[in-house]
Amino acid sequence: MRSTPTILATAAAALAALALAACGSSESGSSTATGSASVLSTAGYQSPATESLSGKRGGTLVVLQESDFEHLDPGITYAALDYPVVFATQRPLYSNKPNSTEPTPDMAASAPEVSADNKTVTVHLKEGIHFSPPVNREVTSEDVAYAIERGLNPNVANPYIKTYFNSLEGIEQGNGGPIKGIETPNKHEIVFHLDESKGSFVAEALVLPLTAAVPKEYAEKFDKNKPSNYASYEVATGPYMLKNNAEGKVLGIGYVPGKSATLVRNPNWNPATDFRPAYLNEIAIKLGGSEPVIDRQVLEGTNIVQNEPVPQSGVRLAAEHYKDQMDISPGGGNRYIAVDNKVGPFANIDLRKALWAATDRDALDRARGGELVGTVATHFIYPTIAGFEQAGGAKGLKVDYNEHPEGDMAVAEKYIKLAGYPSGKYTGSKPIQVVGASSPPEKEDSEIVNQTLKNMGFNTKLTLVEISTMYAKYCGVPKEEIDVCPNVGWIADFADPQTVLNVTFNGKSIEPTGNVNYGQTDDPKINAAMTAGETVVGRQARATAWAKIDDELVEQAAAIPFDWEKTPRLEGKDVHGVAMIWNEGAWDYSFTSLK
Amino acid sequence: MSARSVEVLPSDAALEFLDFGGDVARSPLQLFWRRLRQDRVALVSLGFIVFLIVIAIAAPLVVGALGLPGPDVQNLNLTDAFGSPLGPSLAHPFGVDPLGEDVMSRVIYGTRVALEVGIIGTLISTIIGVAVGMLAGFYRGVTDTLLSRLMDVVLSIPILLLGLGLAAACSVHGCAKGLIQPGLGTIIFIIALATWPYVARIVRGLVLSMREREFVEASRALGASNTRIMFREILPNLTAPIIVYASLLIPTNILFEAALSFLGVGIRPPTASWGQMIAAASPIFTTAWWYMVFPGAALVLTVLAFNLLGDGLQDALNPRNAR
Amino acid sequence: MIRYIIRRLLWGVVLLIVVAALMFILFRVLPTGNPALLRAGRDPQPKLVKEIEVVLGLSKPLTVQFWDYMKEIFFHFNFGYSYYSQESVKSLIAERLPATLSLTFGAAVLWVVGGLSVGIVSALRRHSLLDRTLMGGALLAISVPEFWLGLVFLFLFSSDIGKFKIFPGAGSYVPLTTDPWKWFTSLIMPWIVLAAGSAAFFARLMRSSLSETMEEDYIRTARAKGLPERQVVRQGVRSAINPMITLFGLEVGVLLGGAILVEAVFNIPGIGELFYKSIQTSDFPVTQGTVLLGSMFIILANIVVDVAYAYLDPRVRYS
Repeated sequence: MRSTPTILATAAAALAALALAACGSSESGSSTATGSASVLSTAGYQSPATESLSGKRGGTLVVLQESDFEHLDPGITYAALDYPVVFATQRPLYSNKPNSTEPTPDMAASAPEVSADNKTVTVHLKEGIHFSPPVNREVTSEDVAYAIERGLNPNVANPYIKTYFNSLEGIEQGNGGPIKGIETPNKHEIVFHLDESKGSFVAEALVLPLTAAVPKEYAEKFDKNKPSNYASYEVATGPYMLKNNAEGKVLGIGYVPGKSATLVRNPNWNPATDFRPAYLNEIAIKLGGSEPVIDRQVLEGTNIVQNEPVPQSGVRLAAEHYKDQMDISPGGGNRYIAVDNKVGPFANIDLRKALWAATDRDALDRARGGELVGTVATHFIYPTIAGFEQAGGAKGLKVDYNEHPEGDMAVAEKYIKLAGYPSGKYTGSKPIQVVGASSPPEKEDSEIVNQTLKNMGFNTKLTLVEISTMYAKYCGVPKEEIDVCPNVGWIADFADPQTVLNVTFNGKSIEPTGNVNYGQTDDPKINAAMTAGETVVGRQARATAWAKIDDELVEQAAAIPFDWEKTPRLEGKDVHGVAMIWNEGAWDYSFTSLK
Repeated sequence: MSARSVEVLPSDAALEFLDFGGDVARSPLQLFWRRLRQDRVALVSLGFIVFLIVIAIAAPLVVGALGLPGPDVQNLNLTDAFGSPLGPSLAHPFGVDPLGEDVMSRVIYGTRVALEVGIIGTLISTIIGVAVGMLAGFYRGVTDTLLSRLMDVVLSIPILLLGLGLAAACSVHGCAKGLIQPGLGTIIFIIALATWPYVARIVRGLVLSMREREFVEASRALGASNTRIMFREILPNLTAPIIVYASLLIPTNILFEAALSFLGVGIRPPTASWGQMIAAASPIFTTAWWYMVFPGAALVLTVLAFNLLGDGLQDALNPRNAR
Repeated sequence: MIRYIIRRLLWGVVLLIVVAALMFILFRVLPTGNPALLRAGRDPQPKLVKEIEVVLGLSKPLTVQFWDYMKEIFFHFNFGYSYYSQESVKSLIAERLPATLSLTFGAAVLWVVGGLSVGIVSALRRHSLLDRTLMGGALLAISVPEFWLGLVFLFLFSSDIGKFKIFPGAGSYVPLTTDPWKWFTSLIMPWIVLAAGSAAFFARLMRSSLSETMEEDYIRTARAKGLPERQVVRQGVRSAINPMITLFGLEVGVLLGGAILVEAVFNIPGIGELFYKSIQTSDFPVTQGTVLLGSMFIILANIVVDVAYAYLDPRVRYS
């Protein structure tokens, strides 16, 4: 996912990633032991790592949310903002506990079985899980199959199915009907047959909401509409459901666009089949308003939370007066300066290294809000994602241009000279295009980078535009030949490091529009390593393989990372909020309770 | 920019100026200056404006003399732990902005943008307006109809909206295959385009009445060509009214640039522009009031000075309505 | 009279056509870069861009594109579709019109009442301390940029972040039909900010116009005839007010196109704010549509004012 919380990359090649860090069980232990605690938690504040998961039953939670939802249909949803509602009502095959990036069987009964040739993935389903009213019946493997197959229905058009499931047999012919590679030998077993050895990776992708069961006989009439309006009638398998009427209608009742959404308990939910405690009786979401005002209302109120990025004013207010009401969660994604690797001065590796050396990453992070909201980045895989430690942890690869986060003009000059400018300053005459976002703190970051480029001798043309325009019209369009995009970032879809690096730095991922390989990195050696990395089996092995690729990217200075985001969230004084470490620290409604 | 932005006196009042009622021994222009010199408020404003011009031209010297860093010097250490800028202090009398740039320094350099846009934009606008107005008023007939219709068209377009739209459409890569680039030049161009009809209309009205006057008839009888009449007879008599209306146009244009910058389509960062500073201050003004107050005050004072001067000039032009 | 009205209306239509043509040049021809891409909204998938190219008829010659564009606007009143939100520009504008109307008419009432009363008082008490204070204040008011004034008001009086929490803050606008009281209070500050400059301008003009009128012979005659001063003043005002009418009409016309600055600062969901957002997101159909709408209001206001003038002063009809 691009690192703006409500924006989703919906291009087929784009990955909207949720930060699911699939650290191996031994890794999470080792990361704290090796002193990377500061990247996983912030002193003085609650974080998913430190919160208790127990709570009191009962009560109604009010959620104030400025932006409306993008999609609540489990087959389409792809935004960090939508996930709290989706994951409280829908159960994919595998899920994450709020404080873990390691998948837990959800609809599945046990861990996925990957065949020896890495081409078959078998999942056994739990028994006794039922759909909410009005469907009521038990969930079967065919419902899971239908959920995935409808992703190819043009009326549903799931944004990531081709990215993660493109190795499924028969997926090219899929258009909403049965897919050859999905087999349901019995009611509680589903088998995925792949034509490439990517089983281990596909198994990890089963945490995506696309795998949440959808009842075919009920949903197909909605899926016939252009676009599908299943979301307006959707049923739930989770502890909560969107309020509906007897016919199953959610629109206007459980979800009033622009106004509200209401989650009530799912009467057919069986707690024995679920790891979720579901303390709250009801979650009442109010849409609209402005974030600074919302922040104040939440901090001063009771049984109320907000669930979106907190602007600086809110962070300051909480830090100064309401310290125990702010949670700070790591794993909010990375941010980096993308530079055009194909065309222009930055096609030269030495100039890229020079920019890396010259950039004052401390200043960039300071402008974003300081230590509470980020740590200085030294490579691309960020904390909570497997491979973080193997790629160098907090310090990163030891190269001279990475040594000084406060910027080092001497090293920069060395590389500028190596690039062929003996004076130590760039002397080319053609101005370079820098396009950034106009809203703070991206604006400040753009200006800092602009000044750095000027200090290096570049003649720059800085333009600031609205952020989605920046992605859609400029930085995501290779033909625009923007030399520097200082405000890009990425959040993983789930905690496998491939989801952080593949689509963003693989030469094969470059698209004419909606491109997320912003710098058009296309190094044959790295491309080959990534292709090989897709088929590696086992979490540990994959972490090691992709960490090596991360190192390669640093050695190539493909882009300049500067921030690993931490996300604050605010809660009322009587709310025991539990944050999802794997989803930008958003509140997990199934674990949150009132004190 | 709204209709009210240029105070339009009835043309008759301006024409009265041409009546040699009073002191025949002095030329109208001399009378004009004499009355102006006696207006203390106008003189003070003029003095302030000259002061601003000096500051604008000598900005680097002023900033250096005050011991301030340059306007683009970023210093993130001047922000607190949350990235918020620090307020006024001895080293930074007007505080700093979120990038740690000194606000006083930026306000001083902002004078350049304001005056450049205000004065140059008005100058261009006036030249175009006078030219068109004179042609329309003097030749009348088809020329007048065409030019007046042109004025109508331009006046029918909400100029602020158009300026914004144009500036936005031409951002990043520019328009007309890169000829029109965002920046100071385009802003001045847009402003000049937007405001020339106001001048043109007034000049046209004045010329229409003037061409029937005796001195024009006399010139024609002597065999003077049209061009000669326009430049030698009519134009000099337009000088005073033109000065007055131009001086009223300047503050409008300064505000216009500030508005464009405020809305994000003005001068490119990091160039300091008062409007842009106020825009950058809007999300944070509860904690960084200085970033909004000082540029705003500078804007108000500058515009006020030009308005006062304009008033004084108007009074000198038309003493009947002496305030 | 009728003929005059028809002539003015016809000319108004011609103006609108010319403006529309201008918009085409400015937003389709001038910008460098693929127009389809620029219109492809938040997510320019290659497929979507191709679709838009077809819809826009970009492969057709420019003259054909122009004719199609004009046809859509004038025969079908179709201003296109926002590529940001997929809604039709027409419906977007219709949604936002009430807010802009609320803002404009409230402010208009304020500035007419305020401007006229201050102007009249000043004219009648020329050179007094009151006069000088009022005119000084007026001068200040026209020198202050509205967006700054708005921010200062919010800083001081906004109920959520201000120093003295009196009025609802930015973004608290609700439609009249939802909650009349909240609608009213949320508009007080915007009205004052919007009206301030215009009121000051009107006051100055009124003062100058009325002072002149009061010197006229017929006023002296009226006084000599023994009419009470109140009536004399009323006579004076009635004739002094003429130039104001034109300016009032024009001002309203301009504002109906969207008082961008005030709407942006106070977060009022009107046409100005719509336009502002369209600028930020390169949503050209919306930008074009709002500029056209603004032009329409200005042209309409001009026509109304001209006709009113012609009604009051028959000589004008023959110009």
